[in-house]
Amino acid sequence: MAEKLDVKQGTLALMILGTLDVLGPLHGYGVARRIEETSKNRLTLNYGTLYPALLKLEQEGFVTAEWRQSENNRRAKYYALTAAGRKQLAREAHEWHQTTDLIAAFLAPKREAR
Amino acid sequence: MRHLRAALARIAGVFTKHRADAELQEELRAHLEMETAEHIRRGVPADEARRRALLTSGGLTQAAEAVRDRRGLPWIESVAADIRYALRALRRSPAFAAVVVTTLALGIGANTAIFSVVRGVLLKPLPHRDGDRLVYLRQSMDGPGGTNIVFSVPEVRDLRNGAPSLAGIAEYSPWTSIHQSDDGAVRINVGLVTGNYFEVMGLSPVLGRLTRPSDDGPGVPPVAVLTHEFWMRRFGGDSSIVGRQLTLDRKSVTVIGVLQPAPFFPDRVDALLNMVNSEHHLSATMVEGRTHRMTEVVARLAPGATLERARAEVAAAYARMQSRFNGAYDPASHYRVAVIPFHEALGERARLTLWLLMGAAAFVLIIAAANVANLTLMRGVRREHELVVRAALGAGVARLRRLLLAENLVLTLAGAVFAVLMAIGGVRLLISFAARYSPRANEIRLDAVVLGFTVALSVTLALLLSFVASLPREGTFAGWISAGVRRMSGGLRRQRLQRGLVVAQIAVSVVLLAGAGLLTRTMIQLAQVSTGLKTEEVLTMQVSLLTPTELLFNPAADASAKERYGRMRDAIAALPGVVDAAIGSPAPLRSSNVQFDVKAEGKALAVGEALPHAELRTADPQYFRAAGIPLLTGRPFATTDEAGSGKVVIINETLAARLFPNEDPVGQRIAWTGDVLRFTPISADWRTIVGVAGNTQDGGLDAEPRPVVFMPFAQMLAIGGGLVIRADSNVSGLTAAATRIVRRIAPTAPIENVLTVAQIKDQSVSPRRLNAALVSSFGILAVLIAAVGIAGVLAFSVSARTNEIGIRMSLGADRGRVQRMILREGGVLLAIGLVLGVTGALFAARVIRGLLFGVAPHDPITFIGVAVTMAAIGIVACWIPALRAARIDPAITMRS
Repeated sequence: MAEKLDVKQGTLALMILGTLDVLGPLHGYGVARRIEETSKNRLTLNYGTLYPALLKLEQEGFVTAEWRQSENNRRAKYYALTAAGRKQLAREAHEWHQTTDLIAAFLAPKREAR
Repeated sequence: MRHLRAALARIAGVFTKHRADAELQEELRAHLEMETAEHIRRGVPADEARRRALLTSGGLTQAAEAVRDRRGLPWIESVAADIRYALRALRRSPAFAAVVVTTLALGIGANTAIFSVVRGVLLKPLPHRDGDRLVYLRQSMDGPGGTNIVFSVPEVRDLRNGAPSLAGIAEYSPWTSIHQSDDGAVRINVGLVTGNYFEVMGLSPVLGRLTRPSDDGPGVPPVAVLTHEFWMRRFGGDSSIVGRQLTLDRKSVTVIGVLQPAPFFPDRVDALLNMVNSEHHLSATMVEGRTHRMTEVVARLAPGATLERARAEVAAAYARMQSRFNGAYDPASHYRVAVIPFHEALGERARLTLWLLMGAAAFVLIIAAANVANLTLMRGVRREHELVVRAALGAGVARLRRLLLAENLVLTLAGAVFAVLMAIGGVRLLISFAARYSPRANEIRLDAVVLGFTVALSVTLALLLSFVASLPREGTFAGWISAGVRRMSGGLRRQRLQRGLVVAQIAVSVVLLAGAGLLTRTMIQLAQVSTGLKTEEVLTMQVSLLTPTELLFNPAADASAKERYGRMRDAIAALPGVVDAAIGSPAPLRSSNVQFDVKAEGKALAVGEALPHAELRTADPQYFRAAGIPLLTGRPFATTDEAGSGKVVIINETLAARLFPNEDPVGQRIAWTGDVLRFTPISADWRTIVGVAGNTQDGGLDAEPRPVVFMPFAQMLAIGGGLVIRADSNVSGLTAAATRIVRRIAPTAPIENVLTVAQIKDQSVSPRRLNAALVSSFGILAVLIAAVGIAGVLAFSVSARTNEIGIRMSLGADRGRVQRMILREGGVLLAIGLVLGVTGALFAARVIRGLLFGVAPHDPITFIGVAVTMAAIGIVACWIPALRAARIDPAITMRS
């Protein structure tokens, strides 16, 4: 079984935004499934982590939510990316790349020095 | 932007909670069902599918809670929940809640009420524009009546030229006037003011205009500005008042405006007039007489000028005046000028009394808070079990502290609500109380600042009370729980705290009691001071027949007034029940503001000896008998002491001792003297002393008797218009009949100050009585609360030590020994409290020395009385728990 990871703070919002960007409007379960699949089941999201994060994004105006019928005829709350959310995704993705590059740069020479 | 948006969404979340909750439940359920369906689709049996879905969810309740925290404002919502919980907890111990709320309501109420007075009278900024730049100038000299001798016009002129730091000097001459209207004649207080007065004072009209420099000098129309208070009281706030004519002293004056509400110093004023209203004020005597002092002076500091510089300049200018006009400033009388910020001058009579009351109220609150703290501590012990359970369910120390805070806030704020209700009831009473001390009494109200003070006080108390309860450190709860603790015995720290609070309560109560005792004794001493009169069955009244102008400049009017006064006296004397009726002014026991220097024939003053001053009073032949003033030697005035006959006087004991020590004054001659006589119709002729009268307490019962010269009514102007009526008994029953006679002879003259001697005496005592009553009620309140405090703490100590006492008793301690043990425990606290309290009271008494009369600040009788009282109450309070301890049955305690 793959090693389980905790969701790092701040990264969940980015993952949610990314998911909605790729798949379009989606309910909470769909978001959770997608994140778990993308992480090859290394991440599990319990509701207590996922839904507050969705609510926060909604409060910040990056996603909107509406009730719709799901594919198998169930009422579910669908979250969709807003224009502001798309912009935020681009910005955060950019920052994330910079950060990872930076961290990688720090970690690489350390290995060489050894 | 995004944070603001999120914040707004959260605030909105507080109000959409119910709908959002339902939606959330639905959303979570949908999630769960989709996940379950997914598991089933993969071939997992239905039950197992649901179990797995639930497992990954991490708990629906927890998830909902996490979302809720995110949605609204959890802090506020949990405070609301805390308060709801606190209310429920307090409803379960109504006795505790009632005692605490009552105690706090009394303590906070006393402080709210007194603070409203302190704020209105001392702290509130003046309504005058830049009121903190106003200064009051006071000239004073040694001797009775010398504390405020005001200024003459030439003096004001010199100050104006000599003190550039004073941007403007306004002159204000207090005066009285008879206001004649359809409702009859009434004396009103007026101020004759210079045209720059309102500009300097920084006051504006609410109607019409105020006087200006063009209203100065002779030949202008006489005008009046009404004060707001007089306009409301006399004219009901009639807005058509401007332009109306008033009849003042039989002359017509035009009302030009109404002034904004503002305090006046030294006394309340009804109207402000330009100088042309008084012939006297424009006469050469007034304008040129350096010793003709009739003007109060208020000035405004120039921009950039400091009070210190103004003081230095005024002192220098005054020194120049003294050296140039040395005849006007007797060096031995130490003439001096003080420059006082106007708001301080307004508050000076009230300050000491008010701070005394504020201190007393604060002490009551300290005692009340200490009691509540003790109650909270004791209740805290009983609640330990509950707190442990709460901790076991996951409440952290901070959360428990917040719960306590919520409870205490509920208690103190409930107390504050009752306190404000009490203060609303008391504020009217306090205004009439403060009116004796301050011209600003009508500014007292429970305004936002006062209410803010009350709320701040309550919140501070709640915070303090929440932190006296000792909660265990984070993490120690677990130990308690595993140890199965139901309750802890009172920790050492807690016990020390409780005892400290009891000692503080006793000490503070002693201070309050001592203050109350000293003020009560002051009042009793004062009431026992002999007025100097042989009887109290004397009725006095004042009937003004002449205006000041007529009095000074119209000899014919003076003669006719004397004739009418004589008719009044004779008609009143004929009334049944009247023993004597007389004419003389001022009435006995009222002080005279007419004072002059006096000299005795053939007596030179020693070098450096101050010139003697004496009050001028008038009396007819019957006056001394009617007033009950004893003649020590010589004779009263006779009907033969007429206008044309030899000039005679009667002096009082004080003046006799001053001028003729070890000599018989009768037959000696004295004369009025001094520069100021030039401005009066009073001659400096020698007058023969025919008698010496006993001293009377004219300046109030607590005042030093002043030197007095009585002149025969027939040989002096008809000043004052005082009538003195003496009866065998029930003199006040003669009021109506006497007033009718006066009305018949003088239909339009105002009849004022209709008072019996007993009433005059009471006027002198009553402010002290109010002080004593207020402080005493605070003191009694404090003692009661403190007694409950001692008894409560000891009772608690007994119940905490039931086991120990049981063991002691089964080891042979008898009931008496147990009782003594508890009594000793209380006695030690009592003794420490008494010692601290008496020490504190000695300091406090020195602070209020100025309010005492006839008792020393360290008055042993008061202090011993207070200590004994407090000790007695304390011992009774200890006795009850001690008796209970002695009744403990060792068999029962040991078994339980």
